[in-house]
Amino acid sequence: MTTRRRRVVGWLVGTVSLVLAAGTVAAHGGSLAGGGRESITVPTWLFLSTGGAAVGASFLLASFVTDRAFIERIHDWGTPLTVSDSRLPGLAARLVGLAGFVTVLVVGFLGPTTPQTNLAILLVWVGWWAGLAMTTYLVGNTWRALNPLDTIALALPTLDRRYPDRAGAWPSVVGLLALIWLEVVSPLADEPRLLATAVVGYSVLTLAGAVVFGRETWFAEADPVERVFRYYGRVAPIGYGEYGLRLRLPGMDLSTPRLVDGRDEVAFVVALLWGTTFDGLVTTPAWADLTAPLVEAGLPAQVLYPLALAVGFGLFLGAYWGAVRLSRQTAETYLDESTLAERFAPPLLAIAAGYHLAHYLGYFLVLAPALWVALLSPLSDPGAVPVYEPPGWFGGVGVAAVVAGHLVAIWVAHAAAYDTFPSRLQAVRSQYPFIAVMVFYTMTSLWVVSRPEVPLPYL
Amino acid sequence: MTDDYDVPDDVAAYDCRHCGRPFAREEWLALHRGLDHPAELDEEEVTAFRAAHEAEESRLGNFRLRALGALVLVYFCLLMIYALV
Repeated sequence: MTTRRRRVVGWLVGTVSLVLAAGTVAAHGGSLAGGGRESITVPTWLFLSTGGAAVGASFLLASFVTDRAFIERIHDWGTPLTVSDSRLPGLAARLVGLAGFVTVLVVGFLGPTTPQTNLAILLVWVGWWAGLAMTTYLVGNTWRALNPLDTIALALPTLDRRYPDRAGAWPSVVGLLALIWLEVVSPLADEPRLLATAVVGYSVLTLAGAVVFGRETWFAEADPVERVFRYYGRVAPIGYGEYGLRLRLPGMDLSTPRLVDGRDEVAFVVALLWGTTFDGLVTTPAWADLTAPLVEAGLPAQVLYPLALAVGFGLFLGAYWGAVRLSRQTAETYLDESTLAERFAPPLLAIAAGYHLAHYLGYFLVLAPALWVALLSPLSDPGAVPVYEPPGWFGGVGVAAVVAGHLVAIWVAHAAAYDTFPSRLQAVRSQYPFIAVMVFYTMTSLWVVSRPEVPLPYL
Repeated sequence: MTDDYDVPDDVAAYDCRHCGRPFAREEWLALHRGLDHPAELDEEEVTAFRAAHEAEESRLGNFRLRALGALVLVYFCLLMIYALV
């Protein structure tokens, strides 16, 4: 076993370093950080094939591990963490969340108007959407405790209307796509007043939902933000198990059966993945070339973006369900489609987390000093703010994050397949369609991050 | 587990007598009984599990060889391409 494992590790290091050598591709940093993505030093087709091959090779490597007991040991490994019964940490977290919320509103409406010095902008994009989200999948989900809207909803009365079962997670799917659309088409990261207005709008909607259907139901089912953090938190090493807080290996919770339940939750996982891709896709030159004829033909730009978002989401969802249908055939199983779709959707969260890290780690590091300076003087404009200059090799970290996300996903799907099917060869065969989709997805995403970044056309 | 099944009408299915899960092959049913209901097997089912397990091991050996071949192929193809480009 040890020699086999050593061989496995050796190969992994080999493939990863190949991918790293293939290109120093910087992550898409968002509009605040300025600057574009670096160009790569090998031909694009080779860079993409290497990425695809790394995913395929990792699948073959995972298939060498055929010892059920060994897989179970890895997945069950963990230690319970002791938590004090004190209510103080929870209370403190709620206060911190509320303070952040109030800060965003006050500074957003009254603070300096330049984005790089405005605390509201920096707190939302750098502190929360980049920083807090990263800690959510790298350490554990704290948003449940911080969520200021949840705290405010505590003080509000509730009508306790029955939440329609049929709606399930669909409102959160629509909400997530709407948030992605808003984030892409509007200058939310540039105009503090607009950002604060958007936060007010989202808060009113969320609080209204919590009042009508009850706080816990609303945040458990319909709120997209809460769901994003909850799903990212499942990738994290620290999470809630049967007996309270527990430390596990990262991502291992994703092989738990019934983690994703129903077509609506599968759709949310896919929407999360598609959102990351769409965010990068619209800033590629190819996007401008592709959509130019459509706009010239009379398609309004206001319709183009939501339409593309919806169509792309449909394609991603269709590809996933297509893979599920094929998987039923290659595995010759009588389990129905939904069971397979739910079983193999959670590993995709590791991929989504990998892409999030690739996109936002650099962005976070560059702007973290600016966030600190703005925190010290929230309402006065400090003029120039310090930014951190990442070293040249930093682009490799993004590619490594992408690859690591895929590796975790492949391993978790491997374990889930072993848990689902009695025959181990059947388990391996069930993964063929998913791996094909994953290879295609990796190549698409690597292609997106290797394109130069251009401003959004027609907006 | 409350998994749902979707068995086509015109095919044979081997149902597990403990949990009702259908399988397309008798061998998979034997493996399933041994893995998921180990305490409830009779003599015959134990023998069937052992036989199915052994058959699976030898097929896995075959699979590993082919997978290794594919890995080596991918590795050297990329190596060659990187040497040339």
